[in-house]
Amino acid sequence: MTNYFQKRINQWSLSVIIILFIINILNIIYNTPMVPDQHWAQKIFYVHVPSAWVGFLSYFIVMISGFMYLTSRDNRWDNIGLAASEIGTFFISLVLITGPIWATPIWGQPWVWEPRLVTTLILFLIYIGYFMIRAYGGYIERMKRNAAALGIVAFINVPIIFLSVQFWSPDIQSHPQVEMTEQPSEILSPFIFSLIVFTMLYTVMIRYRVYVIHLNNGMNEDV
Amino acid sequence: MFLVLLKKELFIELRSKELILSMVVFGIAIVLAFSFSSNLSRAVVINYASGMFWITVLFVSALGVHRSFAYEKEYDAFSMLVTAPIDRGLIFLAKWVSGFIYLTLMEILIIFPFFKFLMIDYPSNILIAISTTLLVNLGIMAVANLVSGIAMRSNLSEILLPILFFPLVSPIIIAATKISTGVMLNESYGVWEIWVLIVGSIIIISGLAGYALFDYLVEE
Repeated sequence: MTNYFQKRINQWSLSVIIILFIINILNIIYNTPMVPDQHWAQKIFYVHVPSAWVGFLSYFIVMISGFMYLTSRDNRWDNIGLAASEIGTFFISLVLITGPIWATPIWGQPWVWEPRLVTTLILFLIYIGYFMIRAYGGYIERMKRNAAALGIVAFINVPIIFLSVQFWSPDIQSHPQVEMTEQPSEILSPFIFSLIVFTMLYTVMIRYRVYVIHLNNGMNEDV
Repeated sequence: MFLVLLKKELFIELRSKELILSMVVFGIAIVLAFSFSSNLSRAVVINYASGMFWITVLFVSALGVHRSFAYEKEYDAFSMLVTAPIDRGLIFLAKWVSGFIYLTLMEILIIFPFFKFLMIDYPSNILIAISTTLLVNLGIMAVANLVSGIAMRSNLSEILLPILFFPLVSPIIIAATKISTGVMLNESYGVWEIWVLIVGSIIIISGLAGYALFDYLVEE
């Protein structure tokens, strides 16, 4: 098997994403406007929301790959599911870290049971269980099937978890940036750019992680 | 075939009485712990009684459903069960309905000590209280059996079950607490209707997911 970075396309994609990511960070720091009352805290939103988008996209991919694995028994789908769950949990962790960092100066405390953050936390806990199933699942084929099933069950529960948390305490304030289309273009443009860069970063990460898992599985089979 | 499987589940318990007995004793022990931790303050107990009840049910159902699947692990009975020419989704349905029956029995046995230990009054509309409790029991057991199906044959099933079960069942716990509080305070149905719909949706989603996925989960 050729080294991942021996392929020209992989070298290019990594170089492009590193450059774009640096531009994105500099853009967020220097080019985005300071929102009154929020100041620097608002800038975390350009990382927080794209991380949430990528995290939930990743968990959606876990569900799809779980479904595909159960119907086809093709190990490639299991590899994609594992890679997506790991990277998704990384981005969801970022959401859970950046959310309270933003909330501390704005709402006066890090945790106010905001429905989206609570849903994210519940999903994060389910995925900790997902990794435990992967680690302690026993017989490998059964473990893969159980993980695939859990990936499906976890994601189909997201709307219901969100709804129940939202109705649970309707007086709790939601994110201030609910309507993105109403934001001025100097906020909207860097936000969309950040969203695109995060999505591109995600595709590079998941391709590389799938390659490493595939390599790892091959080595285990050789042993 | 479903009735045969259900009969098998109920007969095992009827002979040993192990499951229901342990669920009831565990339930009463939790109620006792809640009574001590509330300092018997009426303000705390009245506000938190519904939550206490459903947390008790949550812990007990985790214990019950784990035991119900552990029976199958002994002597590898599950392998024999899945080799039978039956729809495996029916095994899930039989476990779901039997779990629902055990949980309801347990609640019947602990409800009296629960109200007496915490010194609270029974709800005035008993029929509504019973019907909503039955609905929530159905939801809890649907999720519990689905999760147990996923975790049962892993190496750490007794740890994995609550780790997966508690976050997945959180919408039902929120809904159950809201419904019971509404019933206890004699609020009109319209106030807590949304929670009944949420529990109903979870029953449908978890029931269908369990029925469809169980075939893959129990495969050898």
